[in-house]
Amino acid sequence: MGWFRGRVLALEGLEMEVQKGEVFGLLGPNGSGKSTAMKMILGLLRPTSGSAEVCGFRAGTISARRQIGFLPENPYFPVFLSGAELVRYYGRLSGLGGAGLEKRVKELLELVRLGGEAGKRPLRTYSKGMLQRAGLAGALVGDPEILMLDEPTAGVDPAGSREIRDLILELKARGKTVIFSSHLLEQVEDVADRVIILHRGKKLREGRLEDLLTKKNEWEVKVQGLPEGDRQELLAWLKKKGGQVVREGAPRERLEDYFLRSLPEETRR
Amino acid sequence: MIGCLRRISAVAGNTFLEAVRQKVFAVLLVFALVLIGGANYFTEFSFQEQFKFLKDLGYAAISLTGLLVGLLGAAQLIPGEIERRTILTALCRPLRRWEFVVGKYFGLTAYLALMVVIMALAVWGVLGWKEGQFLRAEGLDPEAAAAIRAEAMDPRLLQAVLLVGAKLAVVAALAVFFSTIATSTTFVMAMTLLVYLIGHLQSVAREQWLETGEVSRWTVRIFLAGVALLVPDFNLYNLIDEIVAGNVVVWRTTLEVVGYSGVYIGVLLAAAACMFEGRDI
Repeated sequence: MGWFRGRVLALEGLEMEVQKGEVFGLLGPNGSGKSTAMKMILGLLRPTSGSAEVCGFRAGTISARRQIGFLPENPYFPVFLSGAELVRYYGRLSGLGGAGLEKRVKELLELVRLGGEAGKRPLRTYSKGMLQRAGLAGALVGDPEILMLDEPTAGVDPAGSREIRDLILELKARGKTVIFSSHLLEQVEDVADRVIILHRGKKLREGRLEDLLTKKNEWEVKVQGLPEGDRQELLAWLKKKGGQVVREGAPRERLEDYFLRSLPEETRR
Repeated sequence: MIGCLRRISAVAGNTFLEAVRQKVFAVLLVFALVLIGGANYFTEFSFQEQFKFLKDLGYAAISLTGLLVGLLGAAQLIPGEIERRTILTALCRPLRRWEFVVGKYFGLTAYLALMVVIMALAVWGVLGWKEGQFLRAEGLDPEAAAAIRAEAMDPRLLQAVLLVGAKLAVVAALAVFFSTIATSTTFVMAMTLLVYLIGHLQSVAREQWLETGEVSRWTVRIFLAGVALLVPDFNLYNLIDEIVAGNVVVWRTTLEVVGYSGVYIGVLLAAAACMFEGRDI
């Protein structure tokens, strides 16, 4: 922390394990230790005590870092480079080169929809969403087992945010492990298999979303095409059987879905 | 090994590209070129004085511009990357920290070398142009023409270019060392400049330290020994002035100074890599 400024305990007693192929969400308010945990796994920060392993390698070692592709919270990229140059640079830092690297750069830029002219433009002319996509291509260039994404959708518009979400799901389908942090809880809910909730450097909760969010003493059913009379009869039957109707009525669409559906097709992608 | 070289060359290439695309360095280069070219219009001297003036000003412009670019460039190398946080996206890759430091240094040195070559070519061009002017003015007197050619196209100027390059490479290594322990670009520039100035007094400290009778207090002697051993002797590069003045400097001496520079650069980079290894990002 610098001279005479004291020390801050950023993480304390954190124990967590991420399984291969799962999407794991790190949740918590600002300052809860999400980014610190990621930096420790990457070897950018050293813990005062404790240890971490990545695919059997000690965290922070070259072998461990070879398994991880990292996308930071904000687009901290050299803005004098173009999108293609950025991915090529990160590829070379990962030890790649030659025709193989060029092929990989092209493939990844296509994957994140920055192929063609867009990939040749300097990063300083990119929107936030484009920067995040370029960063994602850079994170994937070394073909890592694990993707670590720190607030990947922060500051990105809903369409860009949905794209990143879809990319995470695509990567999961390809067998990649994804560890990500986000403040957008709806999005976490959409993609994460398991989450951990941190607060002031300590773990509050951890588990599968299904286990954490399912209200076990309630039951929900969605019905279509039931006449009004039958509906009243069904409600009366439920009351008669001792059930308490917590919510009843027409379901609402999520605002994000409605917003994206309202946009023209080409803007959505 | 190939992977290691590839990673170092990637960092070096990126650093070089960043420097090339920085407008401030291009402006400094243009400024130096204008200075070198403008010197050609001072015509009040004899041809010997004129050539000496052109060489003096040319090499001063190369040294000063190189020093400024070296300081500004090196100051931004690591603290600049930490401030912009671009370092996170580099060091999270399978890249060793010492590879990052060495790559950064090589990238900056390559850019400094390019600038020195461009400015040296400009000095050489101006000298050639002036040579043509004097030859036309002197007519066909073969003795005068030979003297003019000897002054203008002195092969020893190559030694001076090499020495300027070596001096700037040491300054860049110093700045890289400070950039691995500093958190601000101002600190790096101030410390490098300070050591550069102390380096010009290093020989005085060394003499005082070695001559036991002069200084008796052990604390002062330790301080003098520290300065003499740790700070490079920048007075060694005064050979450039000797060459510009037309004095003979043998190649062996030049190469010894280049070798001395190489040893300091190696030590500084090793120290920089050690300091950077334990640093939290």
